[in-house]
Amino acid sequence: MAIANSRIVADVVEISEFPDLAQRYMVRGVPKTVINDGVEFLGNVPEATFVAHIQQVEAGYK
Amino acid sequence: MALLSPETQAEIKKIFEELAGDVRLLLFTQRDSPLIIPGQDCPSCKDTRTLLEEVAALSEKLHLEVYEGPADSEIAREHGINRLPALIMTAEGVRGKVRYFGLPSGYEFSVLLGSLVDVSKAETDLSEDTMNVLDALDKDLHFQVFVTPT
Repeated sequence: MAIANSRIVADVVEISEFPDLAQRYMVRGVPKTVINDGVEFLGNVPEATFVAHIQQVEAGYK
Repeated sequence: MALLSPETQAEIKKIFEELAGDVRLLLFTQRDSPLIIPGQDCPSCKDTRTLLEEVAALSEKLHLEVYEGPADSEIAREHGINRLPALIMTAEGVRGKVRYFGLPSGYEFSVLLGSLVDVSKAETDLSEDTMNVLDALDKDLHFQVFVTPT
């Protein structure tokens, strides 16, 4: 998605090296995805589910 | 000693046959120093650099640029980097930013190789519905995917 759109920054973060982030985002399982610090989900999800999370962000979460 | 065995290198070269365009790999890492500065320690910086140097050597389409310095250096800030090691993968036609923080080891190493191929193609296999949603975005989006080395 970040390849296709200039408004997207996509990061992969190794939590073992950045435990402060693991703590801040309460990562208890991986892969855990956080969008704009507001919407989060665990595991690999289908594309449509990922998009639904994006729409949730668009709808009002900061 | 090389991190990648000759067998692994051969496998990676096969994957890299799929590389379409040139890819820039911008690595932000600590200056190699015998001194450890408290609070600025980066235990995986050295391995990450070695690994990426070995990977980049496997294809002439991969261009590694190494930026040494603290995480708050000007060039790092310009790219929105505040942690080390950090890697930005980009190519002509890539619109957003694809970044990797930490040492890509284990399963994540194959994710990295896949990302390099995707970035070089600068195209995705996203559905039309997804593209429509992305085209209509009225916010900037920051995805953070947290992983562990396995």
